[in-house]
Amino acid sequence: MSDNEHGGSKFTVPIGPQHPALKEPGHFEFGVDGEVVTSATVRLGYAHRGIEKAVETRNWTQNMYLLERICGICSHIHAMAYCLGVEALAEVEVPPRAQAIRVLVAELERIHSHLLWLGVAAHEAGFDTLFMYSWRDRETVMDMLEGLTGNRVNYSANLLGGVKFDLTAELAAEIKRGLAFLEERTQHYLDVVTSDELFLRRTRGVGTMTNEQAELLGVVGPTARASGVNRDIRVIAPYSAYKVFPVTPVVEYAGDLEARFVVRLKELFESYRLCRAVVDNLPPGDITTRFPRRIKAGEVVSRVEAPRGELFYFIRSSGGENPDRVKVRTPTLANMASVISLAVGHQLADIPMLLAGIDPCFSCNDRAVTISGDDDWTWERLRQLGIARYGRPAW
Amino acid sequence: MNSDLEWALEIVGEWALEHNAPAADRLDVRIKPEHTAAAARALIDARWGYLTAITGLDGSAEDGQLEVLYHYCRGASILTLRASLPRDHAAVPSVCGAVPMATVYERELAEMFGVMVVGTPDSSRLFLPDDWPDGVYPLRKDAALERAAPAPEEDQ
Repeated sequence: MSDNEHGGSKFTVPIGPQHPALKEPGHFEFGVDGEVVTSATVRLGYAHRGIEKAVETRNWTQNMYLLERICGICSHIHAMAYCLGVEALAEVEVPPRAQAIRVLVAELERIHSHLLWLGVAAHEAGFDTLFMYSWRDRETVMDMLEGLTGNRVNYSANLLGGVKFDLTAELAAEIKRGLAFLEERTQHYLDVVTSDELFLRRTRGVGTMTNEQAELLGVVGPTARASGVNRDIRVIAPYSAYKVFPVTPVVEYAGDLEARFVVRLKELFESYRLCRAVVDNLPPGDITTRFPRRIKAGEVVSRVEAPRGELFYFIRSSGGENPDRVKVRTPTLANMASVISLAVGHQLADIPMLLAGIDPCFSCNDRAVTISGDDDWTWERLRQLGIARYGRPAW
Repeated sequence: MNSDLEWALEIVGEWALEHNAPAADRLDVRIKPEHTAAAARALIDARWGYLTAITGLDGSAEDGQLEVLYHYCRGASILTLRASLPRDHAAVPSVCGAVPMATVYERELAEMFGVMVVGTPDSSRLFLPDDWPDGVYPLRKDAALERAAPAPEEDQ
């Protein structure tokens, strides 16, 4: 507690590290004067796993598996950014069919991520019915991803030089059926978030970031596009099959939380359109190509549009079997500064919504301690620990 | 080199020691570390683009120096300003005056590479744990990393 300029008292409210808004760890300290936030600081790293260090001791192929585990929501886009960068370094041309499948998975992942966000953000606003319906519908896209790759979360669709999974005719038909259902549902959600009076009180005019602020803060992704910053890497620097399947960017200008809802929901329609275009026009041919084990020395920058915005990879090879350095700058880190600066002047109760508004992903953010060696935690060892702790076997 | 990158070179030209274009949409410009903040100011004032990331590098230079890379983007073009820093006195001025959000990037750079960022508004740890030993910078190639002892089991 400290004195403020009005001679009153000022409190510091710590939020987190457990679940500040989403079910992920981050720590914030908000100085408050009454209900109004006067200062904000952030402390991250609760999900820091030393991945950037760990990549330096693994070979090019192993790293693909490691890097796609940076994030459990946008695993594909991490692997894709890495593969595109490494392939550029190795000067390997990936077959068009593989590139199109990468884009298909990337868009399905965006659909899953945006629907997941819609549910979480609705929950933060106290609109749990919307949360439950949107997550029920999200299962449709999860089934598509599982059908295509066999996995719901870490799809592991990429290989250096291609993809592992091909699209069958049955699966294509199933995807199109699912997309039609999701399109109808998304229209309904768009109507709800722009017309529900109670919900609008939590979103309209809240957390407004002007175009100028957005430019200055360097925000990325849907957060930027809701403030009129037309920045979508798929559009401004098309990569992989986005050169063949162009994207129309979704830009809103209000800059408030409502605009962030609208941008993400409208982006869903664009993703549905893209998925259909890819499924209908999938180029024929191979899905993999040969890839060297060693990669010549060089540096490459790989930028892709993750569901949360621009994902940046800097990869450096010194000519060996392992990368010399892989730097990952995730969209959440780029957007974090905006939460800190927007929080000031808002009601404390708006903070969870403000944080949810950027769709933060702390695992992405934190990355970097891997556990290996002979003292791994086995199932049996965990079970023994449980028995010792609770004094009885749980199963 | 495209016209955007030619323009970028014009803006930062006065500080450029050397430059090369590793790819069609990339330009690398080597500058002195003390000029990074001035260059950031100039790029932002000219509304050339935005700072997308700050990368620390170790092992890239033969003389064992560290490198800091500032990546600025405009559309598909990427301008990288590179500054070499001596290992024992690695310091750069903060670019937060021009790019306020760089604070999180600078905190990461400082704790991971032991680069002092002079004038950065918040120099507290961002990612590393509170009990992380001082003077150990994990992303330096010679960092003495040992596995932490397992936490003692409590409240049995």
